[in-house]
Amino acid sequence: MFPLRYLRDALVFAPCYIALDWASYIDPIGPFNITPWNPQPALAIVWMMLAGIGHAPAVLATIAISDVVVHGSPGGPLITLVTAVVLSTGYAAIAWLLRRLLTGSVLDSTRQLTIFVCVVMTAVAAVGATFVGALYAASLVEAGAALDAWARFWIGDAVGILVTAPLLLSVANPERRANLLSLSRRPEFLLQITVLVATLWLIFEGLAGDPSDHFYLMFLPHIWIAARTGMSGAIVAIAVVQIGVVLGIHTRPPSSFPVVELQALVAALTLTGLYLGMMLDERERAAENLRQSLRLAAAGEMAGAIAHEMNQPLTALANYGRATEMLLGSGAGQPAELRETIGKMLVEGQRAADIVRRLRDFFRTGSTRLEAIAVEDLLSAARGIGAQLARDHAIELTVGSGNGLPALFIDRLQVEVVLRNLLSNAVESIATAGITQGRIAVEARPDHEDRVRLVVSDNGPGIAPADRGGLFEPFVSGKPTGMGLGLAVSRAIAEAHGGTLEAIAVAHGEFHLVLPCLKT
Amino acid sequence: MPENLSVYIVDDDPSVRDSLALMLGLDGYRVALYANAEAFLAALREEWTGCVLADLRLPGASGVELQAALRARGSGLPVIIITGHGDVPTARKAFQAQAVDFLEKPFDHVQLLAAIRTAFALEERRIQRADARRNETRKLAVLTAREREVLDHAAKGLHAKEIARVLGISARTVEVHKARIMAKLGARNVSELVRFALAVEAPPDAK
Repeated sequence: MFPLRYLRDALVFAPCYIALDWASYIDPIGPFNITPWNPQPALAIVWMMLAGIGHAPAVLATIAISDVVVHGSPGGPLITLVTAVVLSTGYAAIAWLLRRLLTGSVLDSTRQLTIFVCVVMTAVAAVGATFVGALYAASLVEAGAALDAWARFWIGDAVGILVTAPLLLSVANPERRANLLSLSRRPEFLLQITVLVATLWLIFEGLAGDPSDHFYLMFLPHIWIAARTGMSGAIVAIAVVQIGVVLGIHTRPPSSFPVVELQALVAALTLTGLYLGMMLDERERAAENLRQSLRLAAAGEMAGAIAHEMNQPLTALANYGRATEMLLGSGAGQPAELRETIGKMLVEGQRAADIVRRLRDFFRTGSTRLEAIAVEDLLSAARGIGAQLARDHAIELTVGSGNGLPALFIDRLQVEVVLRNLLSNAVESIATAGITQGRIAVEARPDHEDRVRLVVSDNGPGIAPADRGGLFEPFVSGKPTGMGLGLAVSRAIAEAHGGTLEAIAVAHGEFHLVLPCLKT
Repeated sequence: MPENLSVYIVDDDPSVRDSLALMLGLDGYRVALYANAEAFLAALREEWTGCVLADLRLPGASGVELQAALRARGSGLPVIIITGHGDVPTARKAFQAQAVDFLEKPFDHVQLLAAIRTAFALEERRIQRADARRNETRKLAVLTAREREVLDHAAKGLHAKEIARVLGISARTVEVHKARIMAKLGARNVSELVRFALAVEAPPDAK
């Protein structure tokens, strides 16, 4: 099994490596592979990182073959062998160090990224020194050119690895691969890449002077992309820039401008993009974690509230049961009385079953499934719920229009639970106050920062100022039959969505539910 | 079953209220039902005896607040708190306010009946003490003003001679008064007399 798989991987790796070596063999110093852009080490390092450094011999062989095929073995077989040993050992050492030092993927956190950058920069400097040193020892590089060669090797390999390795790692990870694919379907991202390419053209063709004179312009689309799409977008953007720079170099006469300087700028751009993208990813992850814990809190609150509510029918059942027992035991119980008590027990059993059903419904929807919902759809759901609740009362229900409002990004079932709570409170408030011409209104208004504010108001007496404090606490109820979990859970749901639920201090009933919209 | 004692049930859940009434009624208790603390307090009369069975969570004032309101009004009705979730802080508060018991729903009817029995035992002692005090107060009323004075001073621990000096009468007269007081109150010796005087001054259930 081992040799077959090894051979198969090596047969895929070697042609890719040689092709990359060939494509990036530009602006060398002398005939050797000392170029300002060297992406193929990334391929070797990522392969050894993922598959194990046991593949180092295959890498050694590939580098040697590539030197013969691409560069024509300029130093003779011995130099080809020596440099291949230096390079493959160096790349294996980088892969080994990264495997040892990284606790997760390079793309997971700022810390991992920093370790990756530091290891690559230092190790490549060392490999470059050994490589140039070997050539110098063989008198193939003059003393005066050695430093320049080393700098070129260093920047070329470092940029090559920093740009290419994250891309290869992204492609190797199924989740990130899916992320890249979904990114490629986003119109905004396509626009961003277009702007990026246009900027590249400006730098190389559109504006006078050296490309490095106007390279700072590249930072603008780059920051835009990284700040909007995170790590995935930044990685793609960097690769596009690198390819663009290489094509730009090819279209010009060799050595007409300082390629090394340009690659140093690409390195700075790469680091900026990677770190900015990572910050966005980390921020989104933190927000997601927060949402998750809020959801858990809501579920916990719901479970606690339900357990409490369950006690009422259970207590009543036990009491009725005991009473039935006594009626039977004394022999004094009339059949009618017994039947009535048993009837009450059945009602309590039904009530317990309803509570369990609600709990089950909540947990079925408990894993919040956020989706785009048109405001109009939510309002028509509110219309249905309100009509059903107000059926037995003389209440006039007005539901506004959601036309022109952006789509909400919510869990429809959970938000409907909130609306049902608010509407049921409104109906009860009107019924309890004995208002003959009850009115309930549901309206949607735009709110700041991509939000929509739903206003549920009624012409009931509203909430007494003294009761407002504990209104959203679980078990605080203003209703004779309520257990006071409705508003507590409703607020927890609203907050789990990143929204709010507030009781407005007015002389009638009014609640404001603010919900997030789909971010475009 | 004590005939003059009732169980006052204060619970906002109609089913719990109704089932408790049915069960306790079959057990021979007199019950009265209230949906909240305010309704009960509005109906409360000074001469009511028995115990209060109150839910902790009520719309408006809670069971513990109801208990505090009862004490503030000077009512000695024992209170049993029932709750759906026995959290330690509220239980502590209830006991600090001298609740008879703290029952968690759903509760055993044996527990409930035991709690009610304890409450009624407390209530009977309270009624007896109140009766005794009324009795003693009535007896004291037959003393003359001078005899009250002598009794008050004797209760403070003064001897006959000292009382005589304070009141400006002869020690012999003081002895005569004392003898008449003891006869009127049915006390056998001076220490009984002193206890009597103290008992009337400080009602036994005041803290």
